[in-house]
Amino acid sequence: MEAVGARSIGARVMRVEDPRILTGRGQYVDDVTLPGMAHAVFLRSQVPHGRLLSLDVSEARALPGVVAVYTGEDIARLTTAAQAGAVSGMNLSPDMKSPSFHSLATDKVRHVGDPIALVVAESRYIAEDALELIVDDIEMLDPVVTYEDALDPGKPPIFDELEDNVYLTAEMAFGDIDAAFAEADRIVRASIQVHRHQPVPMECRGLIAAWDPSAEHLTIHASTQSPHMLRMVLPDQVGIPIESIRVIARDVGGGFGLKNSVTREDVAIVAAAKDLGRPVKWTEDRLEHLATAGHAREEMADLEAAVSADGVLLGVRMDVKVNIGAYPSDPFPGAMQAYTIIMSFQGPTRLRALAGTSAALFSNKATYVAYRGPWATADFLRERLLDIVADELGIDPLDVRRRNYVVRDEPPLAMLTGRPFAGVTTRESVEQAAGLMGWDAFGERQRAARREGRYLGIGMASYLEAAPGPRVPGQDGPDIMGYETAHLSIEAGGQVVIVTRQQPHGQGHETTLAQVAADELGVRFEDITVRYGDTDITPMAIVGTGGSRAATMANGAVLHASRELRGKVISLAADLLEANPADLELAAGVVSVKGSPVVSLTLAELARVASDEPHRLPAGAASDLAVTRTYDGGRSGWSGGTHCCIVEVDVETGIVSFERYVVVEDCGVPVNPAIVEGQVRGGVAQAMGAVLLEHAAYGEDGQYLAGSFMDYLLPTTTVVPRIEIHHVQTVPTDPDVNFRGVGEGGMIVAPAAIVGAIEDALRPFGVRALEQHLPPARIVELAGTLRPR
Amino acid sequence: MKLPPLHHNTPATLEEALDLLGEHGDEAKVIAGGQSLVPMMAMRLARPAQLVDINGIASLAAMEDRGDVLAFGAIVRERAAEKSSVVAERAPVLAEALPHIGHVSIRNRGTIGGSLAHADASAELPAVAMVTDAHVVVRSRRGERIVAAEDFFVGHFTTSLADDECLVEVRVPATLPGAGWSFQEVARRQGDFALIGVAAMVALGGGGSIDTARICVFGVAERPLRIRTVEDALAGAAPSPEAFEAAAADAARDLEPPSDVHGSAAYRRHLAAVTVRRALTAAAARAGVPG
Repeated sequence: MEAVGARSIGARVMRVEDPRILTGRGQYVDDVTLPGMAHAVFLRSQVPHGRLLSLDVSEARALPGVVAVYTGEDIARLTTAAQAGAVSGMNLSPDMKSPSFHSLATDKVRHVGDPIALVVAESRYIAEDALELIVDDIEMLDPVVTYEDALDPGKPPIFDELEDNVYLTAEMAFGDIDAAFAEADRIVRASIQVHRHQPVPMECRGLIAAWDPSAEHLTIHASTQSPHMLRMVLPDQVGIPIESIRVIARDVGGGFGLKNSVTREDVAIVAAAKDLGRPVKWTEDRLEHLATAGHAREEMADLEAAVSADGVLLGVRMDVKVNIGAYPSDPFPGAMQAYTIIMSFQGPTRLRALAGTSAALFSNKATYVAYRGPWATADFLRERLLDIVADELGIDPLDVRRRNYVVRDEPPLAMLTGRPFAGVTTRESVEQAAGLMGWDAFGERQRAARREGRYLGIGMASYLEAAPGPRVPGQDGPDIMGYETAHLSIEAGGQVVIVTRQQPHGQGHETTLAQVAADELGVRFEDITVRYGDTDITPMAIVGTGGSRAATMANGAVLHASRELRGKVISLAADLLEANPADLELAAGVVSVKGSPVVSLTLAELARVASDEPHRLPAGAASDLAVTRTYDGGRSGWSGGTHCCIVEVDVETGIVSFERYVVVEDCGVPVNPAIVEGQVRGGVAQAMGAVLLEHAAYGEDGQYLAGSFMDYLLPTTTVVPRIEIHHVQTVPTDPDVNFRGVGEGGMIVAPAAIVGAIEDALRPFGVRALEQHLPPARIVELAGTLRPR
Repeated sequence: MKLPPLHHNTPATLEEALDLLGEHGDEAKVIAGGQSLVPMMAMRLARPAQLVDINGIASLAAMEDRGDVLAFGAIVRERAAEKSSVVAERAPVLAEALPHIGHVSIRNRGTIGGSLAHADASAELPAVAMVTDAHVVVRSRRGERIVAAEDFFVGHFTTSLADDECLVEVRVPATLPGAGWSFQEVARRQGDFALIGVAAMVALGGGGSIDTARICVFGVAERPLRIRTVEDALAGAAPSPEAFEAAAADAARDLEPPSDVHGSAAYRRHLAAVTVRRALTAAAARAGVPG
């Protein structure tokens, strides 16, 4: 790690968060204790689909130490049922049927883990004792588990008010698809599956709700990526107006998208706290979390590609299905993947036409949530398809990529969706990765290894990450996540305070935003404090941190606010020093006359004048050293890059190990390269988990099979190899802000590179990998090396 | 995931502990390292009313080399045995098995005796006890029994320990000079319970043929299994790749392993054959068979 030198941006500054977190002094929700606080636990369904005939909570209510037990009937009295997405307007998407539901089961249970009752007690222990005293009677219904089940008219609708289990259908077309197919030399078809897996943050969900009956005010301590989102979603359901809700989130132990929703448990806990008039804490345990907090990625697509003889994709038809589970997440229903998988499919290719249909389907599974790169299946489908085209046409997959990926500043200059290919460096990253990995020489090594009975394989995949990425020409106004606002001010002691609407949960914004401000203001890095996580002070935002947007949006807002604040500081100092502003400089928190350093004012002195001695200022001069700045993203470019890896497969056991993993990425100007590399490595590790280990598996009967960390396996240090990260020279697209998001890139592309490498290793066995999850048992099956009895 | 109500007893002597077990019978459960029992209680899969915590009983803490056997008191930690040069030298198959158990922090607390008494069918140490023909010493107010591993393991989480008995010592015979050994397992990740594991020993007789072979397969049945028909067939045979391949196929053929989210019975049976072959090959190499 480097000390902060003259320039902070680009330095591997040690994270200011780390001493607190690494010494166990972080403050997570479960670390917060309020006077009179009670503890909540949910009774959860053990069956996937059933009608709730009766619920007897009388014995539980009578247990000493139990404060209250709420049933679905109680919750229906205390809250209003809602449709997911009502705040975002997404419940009204075309061709969508939105069910309304309560936070506890009222008539039916719809997945294993569906909350049925809420016990509030003096301790979590007593609450768990009380759970065992509740008696429920559930009439089992036919479970809806698979895509086929969901489309089967013979299966019962999961929501009685809807006639079937189709939540949303979509149809989109770009370019002349019929012409592309008419021109094709070859039609390549593949049906590709991604399996259900889940984000698994270190800190599970949880919140404390505290209702002040006299002030009629609600305070929530939340583990969330988006504090204001709770204020926006809760009012309609719990009957408390937004202005009476304050949300506090200090340290948040990861989210990966999962904590960008308001969950049914949040609503139930708030309702209980308001009803009881005392604070109620719910800390989700890992068993609850794995079964119910939210799963992602259960998606499949039938692809049909029109391909030229030299392996160029001319047009693609795709039919996508998304299994979104029972209760859509709020305010961003998982059904939106039905659109984004089609919209994101093109990536960095020159694809000329794309036609897609898609369906989001209900099932008796846990809620589908956003997970790091929610559109990731699009990248997997595209990169898998390129490998399949290479294989079917007998072309090197590297050459297929060279022929399909765009070259910077050559046509097409925009995607089929209209988004410009501004500053895209995919081709550069491909060449760099291939060179680093020795792609051309690998074939000889592979053949030599096979002669010894060892199976090596190489895989490559590239991606573009919109974070937020270039706007479509003519696009007015922000996207759903809005523009980004930052407040900057100089406090009495000369300390610079940044207030951000970002909600860091591992990213290190306290460090990176301060790095940007330090350079732009001319203030020492250590004299800058970043405040966040309290809706009483932070700017409004439906999404706090998500979509990899902080790099461009929050840094951009801070950069421009810093410039503006610097102008204010110089102007005030010029008045006081009776100097020409052009002759002044601000460095290390001191304004001085260039060439005469003795004539100077510190930021502390300026702040004191601004607050205590405004009479010293000329009439009309601004007397506050504060700036609020909203940033629209400027002329943002793409993040992107290429991953390439070599694996070895033990074809007898199916165990895969990584020989080498190389990332060549372009996320613009890295504010803090150590943080960028941490983001990339974390994403790649999760992808390794997805391919080799992680499966939120359900049985055919709808039972959940991955309910503990003995069944839901995460990648560990013995699985994840050293990941080499290289940076491609960035092409600037904006005059000021070329920092680009990097949160999702590792996760969205790595599965395709890894699966490609495994398939390559198994080529002697004629294997085609049409699924993302390749645990050892499946690899042995695919390779046909399973011995007969 | 909170423990149900229970009483935590901390006897200072073995006699006190045995009194508590005698008094409470099947209401009581002995706790040493707690690496399996505590999570099971937190998930409310186990709910003893009385915990008898033997960690304070100094007489159970010794690890001793008694010449023909290594003796491990009931609260000797797995990590202590793993770091012992005596164990590495005199009971190398145990030394090779220990690093497969969970992670360092688990082995810092977990005990050898506790792993045997817990008798998880996919745990490593019961298989080591079986392949080494180890014995366990158990005590109650009624007296002492010395039980062979073969007679100790009954089923998954089930041993021949009576409700009032406490395992007090594990006796692992020292490896015969010249014998080769191997411990191999296939797990999804380092430290996971094995999908399948094999502990094997091979000793050569005159003329380079196999004198004795021992094979214990675990993770495939309710308890670790010695495959004695295959052991007998190998005795006297030449230690060739073909012999090990055939032995592996024979060893796996009649296994009826479980199916779960990690793999089918057929996959585990296949892994058993692969792993038996690899373990016999490695053990034979250590016994001096040229590679």
